[in-house]
Amino acid sequence: MWAMVLKEMRQVRRDRRTLAMMVVLPVLLLVVFGYAARFDVAEIRVVPVGDQVASAAQQLPEPFTVLAATDDDPVDVLRRGDADVAIALEGGTPTAHVDGSELFTAQASQQAFAGIAAAGGPSIDVVVEFNPDLETSAVLVPGLGGLILVFVGSLITSLGVVRERQAGTLEQLAVMPLRASDVFVGKVAPYFVVASVDLVVVLGVGSWLFGVPFNGNPAWLAIGSLLFLFTALGIGVLISTVSDNQGQAIQLALMTVLPQVLLSGLIFPLSSMAAGVRWIGYLLPLTWFNVLARGVMLKDAPLSALALPLGVLALMAVVVSTLAVWRFNTELRPAGPGDTDLDPARRQDVPAEVTS
Amino acid sequence: MTALARVVGLRRDFGDTRAVDGVDLDVASGEVVGLLGANGAGKTTLIRMLLGLLPPTAGHVELLGGPPSPAARRHLGYVPQGLGLYADLTVQENLAFQAAAFGVAPARLDDDLCAAVDTVVGDLSLGVRRRVAFAAALGHAPRLLVLDEPTSGVGPLGRSELWDTIHDTVDDGAGVLVTTHYMDEAEQCDRLVVLSRGRVVAAGTVAEVVGDDMVVEVVADDVAAALARLEGAGLVALPAGRRVRVIATSPTSVRAVLGPDATLEEVPATLEEAFIAAVGHDRAAA
Repeated sequence: MWAMVLKEMRQVRRDRRTLAMMVVLPVLLLVVFGYAARFDVAEIRVVPVGDQVASAAQQLPEPFTVLAATDDDPVDVLRRGDADVAIALEGGTPTAHVDGSELFTAQASQQAFAGIAAAGGPSIDVVVEFNPDLETSAVLVPGLGGLILVFVGSLITSLGVVRERQAGTLEQLAVMPLRASDVFVGKVAPYFVVASVDLVVVLGVGSWLFGVPFNGNPAWLAIGSLLFLFTALGIGVLISTVSDNQGQAIQLALMTVLPQVLLSGLIFPLSSMAAGVRWIGYLLPLTWFNVLARGVMLKDAPLSALALPLGVLALMAVVVSTLAVWRFNTELRPAGPGDTDLDPARRQDVPAEVTS
Repeated sequence: MTALARVVGLRRDFGDTRAVDGVDLDVASGEVVGLLGANGAGKTTLIRMLLGLLPPTAGHVELLGGPPSPAARRHLGYVPQGLGLYADLTVQENLAFQAAAFGVAPARLDDDLCAAVDTVVGDLSLGVRRRVAFAAALGHAPRLLVLDEPTSGVGPLGRSELWDTIHDTVDDGAGVLVTTHYMDEAEQCDRLVVLSRGRVVAAGTVAEVVGDDMVVEVVADDVAAALARLEGAGLVALPAGRRVRVIATSPTSVRAVLGPDATLEEVPATLEEAFIAAVGHDRAAA
């Protein structure tokens, strides 16, 4: 038994990257997620609609933060994502329209308005928009579609190039007259199709089983999904090109999937996270897909409100795809005398070279 | 003849280890050049630099008249040691992929291989897999065929068939660079380059590599005892029936070990003996 233990310890010690992940990752995850895993809402953004409520709204206590007043329709204000709450005077009664697509913020708003009334303050009617019953499924299903794409895209694709390298077929690809972009597109195309079908099924079944509404324009969601999928697949391919074996690829893929589950706003509201952690969230593709999917499905958000998530996803897709093709290029292009440093993707060749 | 591949002063270091050290080599159309060397001699490293899979530390590589490039690779057929086939695809699917990548029609298979076209490559015997790899590498009629130990693990009949294919390819005008450590295969090459510790220790035709090397052939009643005594004296000796052949030495040295009455004669060395002598000299000089 001791021989087995010793052998395993030697193997673990030799796989430096895995060892580093085992030691550093738990601490990192603890710190990041400790700051992220909060359901309490620190700030609720309020936009007063009309001059009549603008001055009264200034009296709202924390956690309300009152923004500049507007004359727009209060539901449109929420649709654009300009506020969590829009207060208007309707039939002589102040009415707070609450964005139901942000579950915890909406619940906190309801409690806060109830607290104001109980403390003898003005009674404010509360109307929850987009998700009147504050159904958890309505908030989760749009983002879950994205999560499925992350799993299919990043986790499964991450094994692709590693498998080729371990089987020795990557070398054969390298002597074929294929361009790096050919290989990239060829690698991701099948997963692109599978993940697209997955997305349609998840959203379709989610809507059918849980009654999640689909109020917006499917075209915007389709475009956003394509961009998001390209990003997720590109991340998978990138992971694959920097991993020496399938174990490392899975570990790295999980390192990209886990933060997206916890820091994208899918479960914990972004507004509740510490600023540093929130900015990590802004760098994650699922954060923007989540904003897009909720915006389209629940809020029927206008293009002006969807432009930011669409733009960020497009930028991410371009950057990640370019990086993935560049990495493929370093693997496949003919090596010349100037390339004296071994490409990390080829480092597993060293022992074989020296001993063969 | 046109040089399809040429390397000049090629060197490759891995840290403190020099895997290839100042190798010159060329392959012309219509010839089979054999890279001969023991395990670790640098054969695979040399091939991978020639193909542009590995950057050389120093030296010059020319493939089809220029540096290794995607354009040059279009005229290249390569069968690596691992064969480069997808084990989870059928023979037909593998061939179709390679053909599509090179923009040609799928390779035609021999009748006996046709029976296996729908079989997943991972389920085939090693010999059949090697033949499929050959078919895939030859499907686009390459001008240069590079084979890294193409018959390793294949039986005598299979090896013979694979060498028939190599000769057919050369007859069609292609050049072939092949690594091997089988002497009978090396003898089928038009020219040999013998590597030891990454350096060329002999080169030329089989006759040129053997040159005027002689071995001392000893007639012994007790072959095992004679071998033990010769090897104990630091000589390299190989059994050959009821005789012992002593490499890279003189009759005087052998008599000094076996006694003045030993029955022996000097005879021409075989390729294997010349190879052992060349590598032995190189290692002794290290």
